[in-house]
Amino acid sequence: MIPTSSPRAPGASRAPGRVGPPPTLAVTVRRAPRLPRTTVSLAIALGVVAAMTLAAIFAPFLAPYDPDAVDFAAVNAGPSAAHWLGTDGLGRDTLSRLIFGARTALLGPLLVVVASTALGILLGLVAGWRGGWIDAVLGRVFDVLFAFPSLLIAIMAVALFGKGLVAPVIAMSISYAPFVARLTRSLVAAERNRPYVAAYRVQGFGGAWIALRRVLPNITPIVGAQSTLNFGYVLAELAGLSFLGLGVQPPTADWGAMINEAQAGLIGGHFLPAIVPAVAVVVVVVAVNIIGEELSDRIGGETPA
Amino acid sequence: MTPATIDRHDPAEAGVTASTVPALLDIRDLTLDLADGTRLLHGISLSVATGETVGLVGESGSGKSLTARTVLGLLPEGAATTGTVRLAGADVLAAGGAQLRQLRRRGAGMIFQDPRAGINPMRTIGDHLTEALRLAEGWSADAARARAIELLEAVRLPRPEDHLRQYPHEFSGGMLQRVMIAGALTTSPRLLVCDEPTTALDVTTQAEIIGVLTEQRASRGMGMLFITHDLNLAASLCDRVYVMSGGQVVEQGRAHDVLRDPQADYTRRLVAATPTLAGAAPGDVSHSVGGPAGHAGARHPLDVVSARASGAAPGDGGVDAGGRAVPMLQATAVSKTYLRRGKEPVRAVIDASVEVPRGGALGVVGESGSGKSTLARMIVGLEGADTGDIRIDGRERTSVPRGRVERIAHARSVQMVFQDPYLSLDPRITAGRAIEDALRLHARVGSGEARTRVLSLLEQVGLGEKHAAARPRTLSGGQRQRVAIARALAIEPDVLVMDEATSALDVSVQAQVLDLVDRIRRERGLTVLFISHDLAVVRRVCEQTVVMRRGEIVERGDTAALLAAPQHDYTRLLIDSVPKPGWDAAAAGAEVEAAGAGADGDGMVDGADLESEESAVEEARIEASGQAR
Repeated sequence: MIPTSSPRAPGASRAPGRVGPPPTLAVTVRRAPRLPRTTVSLAIALGVVAAMTLAAIFAPFLAPYDPDAVDFAAVNAGPSAAHWLGTDGLGRDTLSRLIFGARTALLGPLLVVVASTALGILLGLVAGWRGGWIDAVLGRVFDVLFAFPSLLIAIMAVALFGKGLVAPVIAMSISYAPFVARLTRSLVAAERNRPYVAAYRVQGFGGAWIALRRVLPNITPIVGAQSTLNFGYVLAELAGLSFLGLGVQPPTADWGAMINEAQAGLIGGHFLPAIVPAVAVVVVVVAVNIIGEELSDRIGGETPA
Repeated sequence: MTPATIDRHDPAEAGVTASTVPALLDIRDLTLDLADGTRLLHGISLSVATGETVGLVGESGSGKSLTARTVLGLLPEGAATTGTVRLAGADVLAAGGAQLRQLRRRGAGMIFQDPRAGINPMRTIGDHLTEALRLAEGWSADAARARAIELLEAVRLPRPEDHLRQYPHEFSGGMLQRVMIAGALTTSPRLLVCDEPTTALDVTTQAEIIGVLTEQRASRGMGMLFITHDLNLAASLCDRVYVMSGGQVVEQGRAHDVLRDPQADYTRRLVAATPTLAGAAPGDVSHSVGGPAGHAGARHPLDVVSARASGAAPGDGGVDAGGRAVPMLQATAVSKTYLRRGKEPVRAVIDASVEVPRGGALGVVGESGSGKSTLARMIVGLEGADTGDIRIDGRERTSVPRGRVERIAHARSVQMVFQDPYLSLDPRITAGRAIEDALRLHARVGSGEARTRVLSLLEQVGLGEKHAAARPRTLSGGQRQRVAIARALAIEPDVLVMDEATSALDVSVQAQVLDLVDRIRRERGLTVLFISHDLAVVRRVCEQTVVMRRGEIVERGDTAALLAAPQHDYTRLLIDSVPKPGWDAAAAGAEVEAAGAGADGDGMVDGADLESEESAVEEARIEASGQAR
């Protein structure tokens, strides 16, 4: 998922190349040579996601306290040397809960992105490649799914599967699959009429082979980049579901649930336990969006051969 | 690689331009570097006098378009230039915003290759033609409208007043190019820069557009800078030509001298590579000559009715195997109609019959929308024929293959090389892998043996081991088309269909690919169906030729005979439309203009029809494929 692989060489070299000798006298005011802004913001975004991933994996070693350890001696404490980000209404260390919360914040969206991408690509490929009535039927199914608010699907899923991480993940996978499917469908439908596909047919290759072995790999990077963008939205929505009590259940540390639990403290003027997880959600969503857009730009610019 | 430009100024002419008025356009020692330091133009000098037509000839990447664009101050972003570009005395490169706009309005008009890309599809033709006058020159709406009508008349569009209310999509490519010419003329520029204005058009439409251009240039006394890759076109049109290669002018002089007796190596190669209709000296060949492949050639140019009859006769081809040679490819009375929702059905191919003897090459000639590509797609099994029968080596190949066995059998019978090598190769798959895939599908070979066969196939088409690992993106157009040919040969088909296989390539590359096809035919005895809009290329490759128009075969016969003594009016129109160097005809300009004028009223409507028909076929095909699969 972490896109450190092959940032295109031309893409990397193109931008610094602009800072060459001024071409005309008209442009005399030149900024000092520096890294292009996109590179800087991309590096920060990658750093955020990497830090979050490490925090999730090594949470037991990084967290100063047990996230569930209650300490009534220090309820709603402010930041201090002992508790860097203070404690919540039950005296639990906010930093430790934040670190452990990265686990569900990472795992949930990851599962949703993988599942919705797999499901969406499958449906989109069938619709786009076969066309005809299958395409028409699937298209209407997607329309209906778009019409359902994801919250409604989530509530239905909770009713079916009970509370916990499973129900929201299934619900989100279902509500995000149509986005992926529609993109895949349009890409496949365009690709299907390309001469190279006709060339494969003339060579005697079967339709299924062409679709799965040749067309699918050609469109996967674009769909993948789009799915990366979905990651951020899913994270925010999952946090929202937890906040409403439909997701991860207490006492498990989860950013959405943390905001929920901190509501009582807000009235008493203790903002920190609510603000810390909220800021974490915003920072990660922005970081993931930056990465996703950068990926889309690079891959999108590459595909027309 | 810095040969001194071979300058062949006529001394008298040089004296005139030097001593009297400064040239209308004068480019001196122009260099252009991209922002990353790559030098694209290496000291270009050229001039255009008032009333003169100057050709700028070269292949893709020679810098000819780049040079022409500097005339209007259109430079790549961040480009650095040295030298001067003077347009009517004003220095374009030094000009600031307001002065540059003034130069673009009054000094020079430009006509681009693709008229559809250069016009706003949401605005009417009237808006397009009048906005420059209304917004920049402050004309009243009525005056601008009157002027627009006058210009549309000048470019010989039939109903100027109605056209003003029409949108670009209602026009064919040729009509739209006329609109663009009218647009370039609105502000009465003194220089007209034409950047491959007819390359995207059919040959008959090209002749009409060239007619309009020469007429306007003459009547307005403009200078014209005409950029083209087509030597014959330059020869038929221009007083002087500059030949460009690799960002340099390698030769210049009077068109006749340069193209008849080229001095620079590059020009010589270019001239040699350019296929021509010439050589088919009239009187030398009569249509009774059988040609290399006797039986089909002996048949006269036929009208459609007799074509149908003769096609039906040998229909039961397999039976007479003992009697006479079975043709390798035999399509009998094949038809294809595309049904469209809520619109008239399009009859793409109507009762077409073609025959190619074993080892022969048949050319299929026609303009866009003539059904030649549909015929090819039916033969290779991408489309099913509605009626008729297609046999290859006596085996039934009429329907679209279903199932693995049929697919592979069909593929072994016939392979195809597509028009655009940039689109017909999978961008993700390396050249070696593409060929290997085809090999392994058809011959169950081990990976080691596959590797060696891939290399030998690549060598046969003039590529090497290093190309095997290359993705299409890193290969040139010619290299890609060689890969496509190698891929087709890997399957060892009985028949190779080449659908406009060289029309996307530069002339010199085209010549190499045509040589390659020749060699493969000699070595392998391959049977070729060669589809092209270019009569000169067909002449170079094919013994036999059929001419298609609107889905019907209107004429067929021995290629040389057909070109020398065309029987059908349409064939004659096609041949007359091919640009010929001025010195071949008695009066070059006159002839071209006559062709343009003669074909005007009727021919133009035809052009529009054909074009809409072509897009209709494409549309119907996509619709149909959506339903079929």
